[in-house]
Amino acid sequence: MKSTQYSEKTLEHFRNPRNVGTLEGDDVAIGRVGNPVCGDLMEMYIRIAEDRIADIRFQTFGCGSAVATSSMTTELVKGMTLDEALGVTRANVADALDGLPPVKMHCSNLAADALHDAIKNWRSGTKLEPLTAGEVAGVGSGCAVPAATVIANADDYLGHGLFKHVDHISELAEKRTLVLDRGPASARLALALTKVTPRVVFLTELDTLGLPEELSREIKRSDVKVLYQARLLSILGEGEVEKVRIHDLDEDNQYELFVDAVVLLEP
Amino acid sequence: MPDEVYLDYQSAKPVDPRVIEAMLPYFGERFGNAASLHAVGDRATATLDASRARLAAFIGADDPDEVVFTSGATESNNLALIGYANRNRRSGGHVVISEVDHISILNIGKYLEKADFRVGKVPPDQFGRISPAKLRSRITDDTILVSVGWASNEIGTIQPIAEIAEMLKGTGVALHVDAVAAEGQLSIDMRAVPIDLLTLSSNDIYGPPGLGALYIRKGVKLSPIAVGGGQERGLRSGTEPLPLIVGMSEAADIAAAEMRTEVPRITALRDRLIEAVLSTIPDSHLNGHPSERLPNNAHFRFEGIEGESLLLSMRDEGIAVSTGSACSSKTLEPSHTLISCGLLHEEAHGSLEFTFGRFSKDSDIDRVMAVLPGIVLRLRRMSPLYKTD
Repeated sequence: MKSTQYSEKTLEHFRNPRNVGTLEGDDVAIGRVGNPVCGDLMEMYIRIAEDRIADIRFQTFGCGSAVATSSMTTELVKGMTLDEALGVTRANVADALDGLPPVKMHCSNLAADALHDAIKNWRSGTKLEPLTAGEVAGVGSGCAVPAATVIANADDYLGHGLFKHVDHISELAEKRTLVLDRGPASARLALALTKVTPRVVFLTELDTLGLPEELSREIKRSDVKVLYQARLLSILGEGEVEKVRIHDLDEDNQYELFVDAVVLLEP
Repeated sequence: MPDEVYLDYQSAKPVDPRVIEAMLPYFGERFGNAASLHAVGDRATATLDASRARLAAFIGADDPDEVVFTSGATESNNLALIGYANRNRRSGGHVVISEVDHISILNIGKYLEKADFRVGKVPPDQFGRISPAKLRSRITDDTILVSVGWASNEIGTIQPIAEIAEMLKGTGVALHVDAVAAEGQLSIDMRAVPIDLLTLSSNDIYGPPGLGALYIRKGVKLSPIAVGGGQERGLRSGTEPLPLIVGMSEAADIAAAEMRTEVPRITALRDRLIEAVLSTIPDSHLNGHPSERLPNNAHFRFEGIEGESLLLSMRDEGIAVSTGSACSSKTLEPSHTLISCGLLHEEAHGSLEFTFGRFSKDSDIDRVMAVLPGIVLRLRRMSPLYKTD
């Protein structure tokens, strides 16, 4: 079955999704699941009155089934008590859509989870704030790890794409460059590099930019691509830097990123 | 619903009606097996020889015998890489391919590794281009074969093939080039460029699907990968499918005759779409190389949205396109080509590929631009990833 072989009902909900948007107020709880790396990120907003879901909205970044399952979930649970809503499962949502392609059952059927997350947050009094533009890659558990990891094989690449200090930013002209978060100096360097190369990735192990406010704002406005909650595991390449292996601390998975240079400023 | 707008020529092309016309007699009255000794067989042999010569002329091969017909580009790639590696194993055990190559090459690379060859993969720059110098640095005394695609079927980036071929000339390292994405669009001349093995596909020049060819320069030795009755100089057993072969050579003749007018026409369509998209849709980017790109390829990335949702919305508007998003693939992995250019997974997810062809027209772009900005806006409005502070 092709990944896009959806039921008519799924397509109908994709074309005309119900309850898209956000809600605000003290009687609103937000749930959030997924990871944009996997191609899905879902937010559920519920307004609660007398232990019931009085209103519901969603936002999603995802494929056709991500949109359709979000839409269907909002239809299913509107008006339910919170306990009833907690009983709604991914399978219920898929059934209500006349089924989903098997390959899509897990990856893009997260709406029920997002709803449960919202209810859990309501009951525990946890108040999630809507994401800001700069935070979108840093969604997750809120873990904060100090940035002091030693990259085992780094010295092999000194002079071959690895920089411990940058005297002239022109050395990195047109190079896809990964800058490790080593505090404000590294952030300022990342900003400066955007003038000489279109691709600057700033990698931090934190889930937010731990920088002075003005600098954080500047980074978020710039073309620097920030990777939050990410740890550099190793540098790869034959004879020179060609790619890096990154550990996504939130999702606990690893992936490769193709770069030409890595900047690891000396403390 | 108005007519379907088809802008996915890299996935499949319609067979040109003139090609179908040329093929038809060979299903019936002019049937035959070229191996038979009777008059019907002789007639088939004559047709086969003439067709082979026409295809050889299309790529500037000196001798028609340098062309072997296969079942398609995937088989040609298998025969080129596995056939060459097996036959020349005594000369070395190292093969170099590129990270941007077609998936068939990458998987053949994995197969060769299991067969105890060492396979090196050269990464491209941010535009998907392989640097000849970087490629050269990968070559060792043990290297027997280099394989690089002429152009990317996905992002359209054209490789510096002539430069790579000149660099390898006389080194004893053979060069295989998968020319499927380039054929019919770029000039391919085996007299001008010292390539040893070249993969071609019939459908990619508007010929019938199910047929391909491998150019094997005289003196280059391969082992067959399938054994049988010894057709095609023993390199590709199986009775030659005469109607398909006639169709491919007819398609090659048409492509050669019309390239001079067709390529500028397609290039203008491509440039018009690129200009329109980048200037009207905010936070949109062109993937691949800005100038060294196939005349028919426009490949975009839209921030904050996911490619399959884009594709489905375009489908609802009667427009057929492709995406490099993982959500549309069987493996749920994003396009290896986009990743090798340095994109992050979530960036690769938001890509959309348009490929033009012989039956594309200016009004196709009007149709795209009438709906695409609205679709992007609609999907961004429901995306938690597209927010402005």
